[in-house]
Amino acid sequence: MMKKSLWAFGTREVVFSAIGAALYAVLSYGTNMLQIAGSGNVSFRPAVAIPMFFGLAFGPIVGFLTGAIGNTLSDFLSGYGFYGWWGLGNGLMGLVPGLIHQTITNFRGAADIIKSEVMVVVGAFVGMAVASLSELWVSGVDFATTVTINFMPAFISNIVNGLILVPILMVAYSAIVARSGR
Amino acid sequence: MLVSFQYRPRKSVIERFDPRARWIASFALLFSIVLFWDVRLLAVFFVIAMAQVFLARITWKETHRAWILLIILSTIMIVVNTIITGSGTIAGVVGSGKPVFHFEIKIPLVGWEIRYALTRERLWFALAQYLRVFSIGALFLVIPFTMDPRIYGVTFRGIGLPDKLAFTMDLAFRFIPTLARDYQVTVDAQRARGFELEKTEGGLFAQIRRVAPLIVPVTMNSILAGEDIANAMDLRCFGLKKRTWVEALKYQWPDYLLIGAGGLILIICLILRFGLNFGNFWFPT
Repeated sequence: MMKKSLWAFGTREVVFSAIGAALYAVLSYGTNMLQIAGSGNVSFRPAVAIPMFFGLAFGPIVGFLTGAIGNTLSDFLSGYGFYGWWGLGNGLMGLVPGLIHQTITNFRGAADIIKSEVMVVVGAFVGMAVASLSELWVSGVDFATTVTINFMPAFISNIVNGLILVPILMVAYSAIVARSGR
Repeated sequence: MLVSFQYRPRKSVIERFDPRARWIASFALLFSIVLFWDVRLLAVFFVIAMAQVFLARITWKETHRAWILLIILSTIMIVVNTIITGSGTIAGVVGSGKPVFHFEIKIPLVGWEIRYALTRERLWFALAQYLRVFSIGALFLVIPFTMDPRIYGVTFRGIGLPDKLAFTMDLAFRFIPTLARDYQVTVDAQRARGFELEKTEGGLFAQIRRVAPLIVPVTMNSILAGEDIANAMDLRCFGLKKRTWVEALKYQWPDYLLIGAGGLILIICLILRFGLNFGNFWFPT
């Protein structure tokens, strides 16, 4: 059987991107009771594990769209407006773990989980860095300010959520993979 | 959990425009705003953005959370960056200035001296930052309140996004009520078994782990449902031909006017900024 491209965007990717985005929005809305004190607009969102996990499970495009569309939908549900650069950052947070999608052979294997955890950290770093750096351009603040106020709270909360929840989701998903034979 | 979009028909002037024209004009204004630090020009953009908010007929009750968020976020950044440290963009455009308030403190024992001067330039720059952040915030704040979620897919297709990408957005909007219901059913089922979501014992890590019994079943159920949906779509040959949409959008003359105005503003701003070097930081002397 021909191996599917990492960047393929077929019916499956369309459906899982849409499901991932809707899940990210609903779960962000439903689990936003944890707030980081004194960190501007950063809430503690356990749902950030969704774009990371969807990237790992279905590829980088699905991860990107889950994060980007999901963050936009979540802001629309809360009535916060549209912040495209934070959508882009959330998208990258799903895209980067998705880069190792084809190398994952066992979703409950220790090696694959460790590899995924590393990509979760890299993804959160890249995604939140891009989103935070946009504030240099938009608000005219300096690098140190945006790192302290925007980047650090978002990055730390996202890696904590991702490192705890992504392995749990991966182990649960391995049962589905085994059942469906995909 | 009742999840609903903030949109409801308001019979406002804003809603009469084609959503594609609104997105295009909004982005043209966004790129125009970020070209300038001149308070006079930023004040014009602020008035345009606020006029849009008033024309959209949205109330304070509906939007106060978003405004408060914007105030808190921008104030933290501006106070830390412009008022206290004075570094970054402000350092490049302002330099030193005329102090309106200053103090010197000598710390006993170590003998360190702390000198601080709040200059008039810094205050004007802070105003420019507020105007910029609020103009951009207000520009896009009205969208969820005045744009029907059912037409996002066809809108983005009309702007030029590929069919599959536009359909992904459309599908995501449609999945939200179903997934919100599944989430609520899961919360109720887990609570019936003694699960306490709001329990704060055990610290942050325990709280995050406690969310897993909610996130995992909802995610896995939706993935299983997704496999069936993808199969059904494949059987109907999804993606083989150009897609048609149930809702049709048609530009009217006011839409062309709006796009033209947005484009014209952007062109004028680009000429002002890069042709005439106008729009740098300015304050009344």
